[in-house]
Amino acid sequence: MRDLRTERKGKILSVDNLPTLPPVLDEVTKMIEDENTSPKQIADVISKDQVLSAKVLKMVNSPVYGFPGRITTIHHALVLLGINVIRGIIISTAVFDVITSSMVGLWEHSLCTSTISKIIAEQINLKDPEEYAIAGLLHDLGKVIIAIQLPEEKKEIEEVQKKEDISYLEAEKKILGFGHDRVNAWLCDHWKLPLPTKEALAYHHNPSLAKFYPDFANVVHVADCISKVLEVGFSGDEIVPLLQKKSFLSLGLTFKKLAKIMDQVLENIIEVLTFIPK
Amino acid sequence: MNKNIQEIFLISSNEDLINLFQKILKEKGKVYTFNKGRHVIEKILQSPPGLIILDTEIDDISYQEMIKLIKGENVYLHIPLIICLNIDVLQKIKELLDPEFEIDDFILKPIKEIEALVRIELTTSKASRFLDANPLTKLPGNTTIMQKIQGLIDAKKEFALGYCDLDFFKSYNDKYGFSRGDEVLMMTSRIIVNTVKEHCGAEGFVGHIGGDDFVFIVPIPKAEEVCKNITKNFDAIIPYFYDPVDRKQGFIISKNRKGKIEKFPLMAISIGVVFNRGNLKHYGEASQIAVNLKKAAKKSPKSSYILDRRNYGAQDR
Repeated sequence: MRDLRTERKGKILSVDNLPTLPPVLDEVTKMIEDENTSPKQIADVISKDQVLSAKVLKMVNSPVYGFPGRITTIHHALVLLGINVIRGIIISTAVFDVITSSMVGLWEHSLCTSTISKIIAEQINLKDPEEYAIAGLLHDLGKVIIAIQLPEEKKEIEEVQKKEDISYLEAEKKILGFGHDRVNAWLCDHWKLPLPTKEALAYHHNPSLAKFYPDFANVVHVADCISKVLEVGFSGDEIVPLLQKKSFLSLGLTFKKLAKIMDQVLENIIEVLTFIPK
Repeated sequence: MNKNIQEIFLISSNEDLINLFQKILKEKGKVYTFNKGRHVIEKILQSPPGLIILDTEIDDISYQEMIKLIKGENVYLHIPLIICLNIDVLQKIKELLDPEFEIDDFILKPIKEIEALVRIELTTSKASRFLDANPLTKLPGNTTIMQKIQGLIDAKKEFALGYCDLDFFKSYNDKYGFSRGDEVLMMTSRIIVNTVKEHCGAEGFVGHIGGDDFVFIVPIPKAEEVCKNITKNFDAIIPYFYDPVDRKQGFIISKNRKGKIEKFPLMAISIGVVFNRGNLKHYGEASQIAVNLKKAAKKSPKSSYILDRRNYGAQDR
């Protein structure tokens, strides 16, 4: 078991060309060629795609630039990388050969969780809501990587999940011996992503494990639950995870505040859904 | 000679050429071959090799575009890049003479083994002699800066010269240590480079005098916009280079020059800009005025810039 795990971890970390969905890539390509678009506008669109966002953060936090683990938002990354490097990333990025509806579903779920994370952060007055949006966007990145690097195992996970009616996370653990949350942690270390982002990605299913930036894990955990209740997109199963009471309370959330958050979410959800054409 | 280069990226779809280089480079380092151009760009940007050999006949992206992408950034400029081309391409390539098109050498096809070997040796040793560049940021250093400014003055070209430095950098270094200080300098260099590039394209120039002192040269009408954006971007990003506690309270506690404990605000950037409208005669004069303006800007603990109104107001207002 140990060896198989090491082998799978190695395979996962050797991912070198993550593909994305064509519409997002096309949109960013168009914007980059247009001299009138500002870096801020380009950052806004990249911030809607988990693969491009992950690549940009991986680049800006790489030792080449000399400040690993510091930059958490796409906007700051763009200021530091410049349009030329972004172009390089875009040109290098391929699209999925086959796009399944489950993949589109995962993108929608991620984008929706991102939007909700940002709204929660704003409503409870956390500094820099943009950082929470990115954490929400990337929270299921491990699932994308598993699909790319371990396609056989991914099929097995889906079968077991359906057959035994368990959560996707449980199915991952059954087949792989670890879940996408663990994959997230490996990737964040390997890519030198900042600690707040890492804790959100690694502990969004178990936020009480976050030692340094509990707000991040808590916000993404709550956002993930809301996103699943709303059934926007599809993250692999239809089981809504148990909302951790501790997360809810430590963020200072109340049902009154939650109602306000939900109003905001419903207002914004249309825009989210129209971004990724099916 | 015969220094070992750790990683060599060979980009070509021609098998004979790949085999030949594999043979030639066996002793030089580990050769990675790629038969498509697009895919390798991100790899190069992410973890730059010690040498790039690019076949102009790759078909999925133009070699010109690849070169521009790689050589357009200060952090990659030092990587030696050699292209392999046919005589007809060579005849067409005026770009080879263009200083913006920064290849380090070329090898003509059909490739002669001994020629390729010597050219690679020369190119890599030349690259290691790239001495004037700042060792940290790889930006041009004092000699280049001086020549650039004097050249513009002698050619009677109008320009704006900005001097930048950081407020409270020393106290940050004292508290967080040199390597954290270097992170801040790298970040600052990227902000200045990208802002100048975004507003001025190839007309801009950025140099690193040393420590926390940087200069930039831009066309006069762009100067204020560039200053505004550098200060804005710096202020937005600098808090992330502090530990959470310091970021939250908005200051650090560190020793002052006399060794006494003192409170210091978060770092800020100060810029002084001098304009040349034919009034300046000498490099020293330009830098003196800019340094004095920068000192005036430094009086404010916040990020700020001061433009040399004596030579600006007259014609721009």
